[in-house]
Amino acid sequence: MWRFAIQNLISRPVRSLLALAGLSVAITGMVGLFSVAEGINRMVSETFSRIPGLAIMQAGAPLPLFSRMPAAWGDEIESMPGVRVVNPEVWTRVNVMMGERVIAPPRFLFGTGIAAREKLKADVYRDAMVEGRFLNASDRGQLHAVISRQIAEDHDVGVGEELAVNGDPLEIVGIYHCGQLMLDVSIILDIDVVRRLNRFDRQSVCAFYVEPDGTVEDQVLVNKIRERFRGREVKTSEGIPGVLATGHPLIDLLLAIQNWLSARGDPLTSPPVHNDPEAEPIEVRTASDWGERFKEFSADLNLFLSVMTGIGVVIAVLSIINTMLMSVTERIVEFGILKANGWNRRDVMLLITCESAVLGVTGGIIGCLLGLAGTSIVNSTWPDRLQLYASPSLLIFSFFFSTFLGISGGLYPATWAMKLSPMEAIRRG
Amino acid sequence: MSACTPLIRIKDVAREFTLGTTTVQALRGVTADVARGSFQFVLGPSGSGKSTLLYLLGALDQPSRGSIEVDGRQIEKMTLSEKNQFRRNEVGFIFQSFNLLGNLTALDNVLVPFLPVGVKPGLRRRAEELLDRVGLENRKRHRPHELSGGEQQRVAIARALLKQPQLVLADEPTGELDHSTGGEVIGCLRNLNTDHGTTVVLVTHDESYIESGDQVLRLRDGKIVDQQQA
Repeated sequence: MWRFAIQNLISRPVRSLLALAGLSVAITGMVGLFSVAEGINRMVSETFSRIPGLAIMQAGAPLPLFSRMPAAWGDEIESMPGVRVVNPEVWTRVNVMMGERVIAPPRFLFGTGIAAREKLKADVYRDAMVEGRFLNASDRGQLHAVISRQIAEDHDVGVGEELAVNGDPLEIVGIYHCGQLMLDVSIILDIDVVRRLNRFDRQSVCAFYVEPDGTVEDQVLVNKIRERFRGREVKTSEGIPGVLATGHPLIDLLLAIQNWLSARGDPLTSPPVHNDPEAEPIEVRTASDWGERFKEFSADLNLFLSVMTGIGVVIAVLSIINTMLMSVTERIVEFGILKANGWNRRDVMLLITCESAVLGVTGGIIGCLLGLAGTSIVNSTWPDRLQLYASPSLLIFSFFFSTFLGISGGLYPATWAMKLSPMEAIRRG
Repeated sequence: MSACTPLIRIKDVAREFTLGTTTVQALRGVTADVARGSFQFVLGPSGSGKSTLLYLLGALDQPSRGSIEVDGRQIEKMTLSEKNQFRRNEVGFIFQSFNLLGNLTALDNVLVPFLPVGVKPGLRRRAEELLDRVGLENRKRHRPHELSGGEQQRVAIARALLKQPQLVLADEPTGELDHSTGGEVIGCLRNLNTDHGTTVVLVTHDESYIESGDQVLRLRDGKIVDQQQA
């Protein structure tokens, strides 16, 4: 039966190829679109899996870049049970590097407290050094920087060489490579140097990174920190700058996510209400918080992508129905002959369903291969951008979905052919 | 069932078709018997109801009135499944325009009735033997468009014989062939009739194929006008 079905398709090559093309394009589009969502999910989960501690930022700030908090709060946090190290962080955006404007991908000056950082058991940057050394006490107050391999390659600089950032000459002492888009954007310096270069308030920080000592559960620690600061005001010279655009799609996407989360009234992300004893001036986020929030966002993204894919799928199904209907109409006599030779309704229906299933399976294989090739080409063409990811489960799903589409597209023509009277069919010939 | 008992009993069979608002009476109360092992010609002008009668005998159609009994079973009372079984196993069809499947080789065309249930090696061997017997030993792997009209009709005969039917129904099998090739095809059917006792019902316009001893039934306007032995 299968051989007969395949021979029937081969005997009408143009029509079969057109149906195959319609289905393959839909499946390729499906793999491509969902690989964006999977790429984002993968990047976020891999990034946050490398940062096991807690991130403390000003409530409502989408990123540390837009957060301001009193630096003195760090000492308070460090004195709390369950806290091992508190590392203060200052983040600013790089506008010009080596005389060129930096738009996309973005680059950030990341000022870190060197003394605190040295105490961290796990440090995503220090543990990812590939050349030179990480910052140490000798770099305090110095224009010494650790940069990502991506930045080094982009500007063709190495350890011991100079990197001009916002007009300031930084000496590169080390190069790291995390392999993560969200991490390999930083130029790491001593926190006081970043404050000085950017005229940043010496009494402020953007965020604190807290490494727990493991004696208290993360969620308990989160609650205790929130309780401790509840009702306080963030007394800094700068607030939350509202909806900002950085010019980078990924960062802007994160901003949009944050705004979206805020709009949902999430208690962890709602902006502070001043003079309210219950107001939350800070947000404390664990890696799993980020993951959970991202899952909610990606569910909406998947819905959007499903709608986009749905359009392609409808076209593909119509194309298969059209192909099979035309094929069935042309072959009315053939079905009459088959019935005259003892084929029953089920056999005729099975033959047409086999033909459409072959289209579905082949379209699925071609679509998955094209989708996979497409994501590989995009990833290798723009290695420092969001990496698309067509997971095995996405490919398997797409393949079976294509097969399902093929079969369901052939069902109506098959039912139609099944009902033909053999005598009528032969007489039409 | 004794040899004297007719294989086919047709009793007062009528068949009407409705074409839009018009009702066409293709058969009007036909009653006849076809003897087991006979070579039965059905003659008549176009529109006389010959092919309609043949399709009714092969359970491809349902009479509007009357009954048709083949080997003791009433066709009009068969279920769909029984009709399929009947067509698959007990009756062989040969059509005027050969009705072979263009995508399949001659051998696969012969095996067509059994494709849905699976072709066992024994059946394939038998199909090859049948093609040998009708003189197509070197044409088994050829597709219909690579065969002449006579060769195509011989493939159709081999297909009809594969199931070793007791009844072969041939609807103008020589209609698209020259007289000499047509004679060869009729010869194949005669061999089948004499060697295996297969009952052959053959619809044709051409009376020159009739030989002494053949049964002849003449139709006109859906009625039998003559029934005799040649």
